[in-house]
Amino acid sequence: MNIDQFTEVISSCRFCFMCRHLSAVGQASCRESDTPRVRALIADSVRMHPEKLADADFIDTFYRSDLSGANRCHCDGYHDGKGYDEVGLQLALRRDIVESGNAPEAVKKLADELEAGAKWQVAGSGDVLYFIDHYTAETPAIAESFGKLAAKKGIAFRTITGGCIGKALGVLGFVDRAEAVAKKFAEFVNGLNAKTLVVSNTAAYDALVNDFKGYGIALNVKVMHSSEFLAGLKLDYAKTGEKMSYLESDYLKNYVKNYPYPMELLKQMGVECEPFGTNEEESYTAGEGAVVLPRLHPELVTMLAERVKELAEGPLVTASPYTRMVLKGLNILTLEELAAKRAK
Amino acid sequence: MQPAKDNYMYQMIRCELTDAVGAEFVNSGSADGLGHSIDYYWIPEMWHDRGNEPQRPDFVVHPGSTEEVAKVMKIANQYKIPVTPWGGGSGSQGGALPIYGGIILDMKRMNRVIEIDTSTLSVTCETGINAQHLEWAVEKAGYSTMHFPASIACATIGGFLAHRGTGVLSTKYGKIEDMVMSLEVVTPTGEIINTLPVPRHASGPDLTMMFLGSEGTLGVMTKVTLKIHPVPESRKFHAFLFPDMHTAMTAGAGLMHSRLQPCAIRLYDGPETAKLIKRVLGIDREGAYLVFGFDGPEKIVDLQMEQACEICRAAGPKEDLGSESGEAWWKNRYKFFYPPYMFHMPQAFGTLDTVATFSKIENVYWAMKKTVEENFPEATFIGHFSHWYDWGCMLYARFIFDKAPEDPAEAAALYNRVWDMAIRAAIREGGVINEHHGVGLKLGRLMKELYGPAMHVLEGLKAQLDPNNIMNPGKMGFKGV
Repeated sequence: MNIDQFTEVISSCRFCFMCRHLSAVGQASCRESDTPRVRALIADSVRMHPEKLADADFIDTFYRSDLSGANRCHCDGYHDGKGYDEVGLQLALRRDIVESGNAPEAVKKLADELEAGAKWQVAGSGDVLYFIDHYTAETPAIAESFGKLAAKKGIAFRTITGGCIGKALGVLGFVDRAEAVAKKFAEFVNGLNAKTLVVSNTAAYDALVNDFKGYGIALNVKVMHSSEFLAGLKLDYAKTGEKMSYLESDYLKNYVKNYPYPMELLKQMGVECEPFGTNEEESYTAGEGAVVLPRLHPELVTMLAERVKELAEGPLVTASPYTRMVLKGLNILTLEELAAKRAK
Repeated sequence: MQPAKDNYMYQMIRCELTDAVGAEFVNSGSADGLGHSIDYYWIPEMWHDRGNEPQRPDFVVHPGSTEEVAKVMKIANQYKIPVTPWGGGSGSQGGALPIYGGIILDMKRMNRVIEIDTSTLSVTCETGINAQHLEWAVEKAGYSTMHFPASIACATIGGFLAHRGTGVLSTKYGKIEDMVMSLEVVTPTGEIINTLPVPRHASGPDLTMMFLGSEGTLGVMTKVTLKIHPVPESRKFHAFLFPDMHTAMTAGAGLMHSRLQPCAIRLYDGPETAKLIKRVLGIDREGAYLVFGFDGPEKIVDLQMEQACEICRAAGPKEDLGSESGEAWWKNRYKFFYPPYMFHMPQAFGTLDTVATFSKIENVYWAMKKTVEENFPEATFIGHFSHWYDWGCMLYARFIFDKAPEDPAEAAALYNRVWDMAIRAAIREGGVINEHHGVGLKLGRLMKELYGPAMHVLEGLKAQLDPNNIMNPGKMGFKGV
């Protein structure tokens, strides 16, 4: 089983409570099973009794998870950067569920859709590619803002629109199919002979810099999150002195690890950032890590979003189109939108 | 006992619970069942580790309000179903385990901060709130609860109230019972009551104190008003190494006798200094490590620190480890409780938490150490003294077997033998079990020996408040189902 590679994580996390306060889905649902400890206990039960891999409630628990990296980062802080990889364990167990033929029908159906939708179109011209995935496309103002900002520096770019590049399939546990889709995307991109690939979607960014590397897939372009690209433009911004809260991206903070460019861009814009919520450790995620949680458990995403909404005190800015989408109704903008509003 | 799952009465009861709290808040799934079958007590952990299934609850119920708790209690009384309150589940004594099945009353939905009163300096909250979340909320308002236990990230405030928990700064700010102003409680029969709004009065015996430490056997604490404190301008630590535990204890007791106001004192015996202080703080010395701190206005902190260091120097330290070593301890205070620094399977381990006066505490230590080492030569005994008072301190002694028997019955028998012998040795020397972990399932059998005839008073209270014996039966030495 894939979880056999995580025996140390299982042994350490199964009786450890020390990061439970950061489990976003656990805070929202208040269920004991939505915590790293119980997920490790389940993995331990499965390790000892493999037939339990078919337990429908165990399976549901793993697909309820927000896959937030906040717990792993907390653990890293107490282990010189080498904490126990409980997200890795969750992904391994999802993979075991899939490989044992126990994936729920809803998960299988979603995987088929994602695979079938893994097609991309390119338009425009230029050395820069801007990938507009489904979540980015949900808020058209994001891509429009990106275009306006690039135009200010006379940068021509091509857009890539389309579906899954492997991340969502991977988090569902279909790793072989995820790798095949990732290869297909890499071939598509490499065939475009561009220099830079920019993405707004934080999960896609993590896929391109971390997952692709794990698969041994090389891209012939420099990959950037849009915040890095926009910060590099060094545009002139109208400084309004408005106070905003930056809602961290789970991927950029906890997976890529403290990606600096969103803050750099906000600094360029002269935004006075107020801390969000009560602390810097919680991810305040609304399911970003699990990528497709709105499709599998929309009620959980609503609960997660409600918790964030309760804590929001003023205007918000986020680096994640996913977060922008699920927090619809709040006073929230992506970095692209804010930058476009402020650029002189 | 509640009917089996395939009995229609099981479904009838489920329907009533659903009516009380909502369908999504009554759970009988295997994942939550597993999660609630194991807390931080070694026995259920070992039971699971050996491939067995610890006792699971029949229902996990998540009430969202005091009124819902009351409704659940009335249903449970109607059918005489055991109810076990559950906060964070991080108790080490088995107090939250559903040993007779029944209902686990998971309190985590009741997690609201109701009011921060800045004129009284108090916070009122529901008891299912995670302690770290409460602290963060209070800090955002510019204050602190000053309750910093190792389990701050895991436990709920209700858990601390239930077993009289304590934090690292208890020497100045007190244990949880010193922090409580008043409580709202749902009695076992489903009545909602409030204790008096202030903690100091002469209006009869103190009901608040009666519920604190009752471990879910006398009712469900649903709301609490706690004192809060301004964030101190300064907090500083200093450490010394003493040639032996006795000399260090003389210094520690001297600090308390001086009536200075340290916020924390911790003294590690030789074996723990050699093992854990070396591993966690990287200080590789032979002797007894003593660390203490002060907080408040910086001028006062500095003055107290100077006085405290003089007391320690007069006691004959081996080495002044300075403030850097003290600050390192404070910075790493929680690290001791993370794997792999914390003891873990396949080890068998337990915290022989005992409290006694200064005149007795060293004898308690040596009696326990002798008992463990003579009767269980394969075990290691280490200890430190934390949570100091004007009159004595708490001994956080631990026994560790590198490997327990594989057979779960043999492992449990060995484990309980250590507890029985070590705790009886402590009681003989004037020690009290215990200071802040509680009694739970682990130590219930020793309560009669600890209390003597006074146990009947506690049993009478229990019978009066809980006539059907549904609240966490079989814990704290009270009778089971």
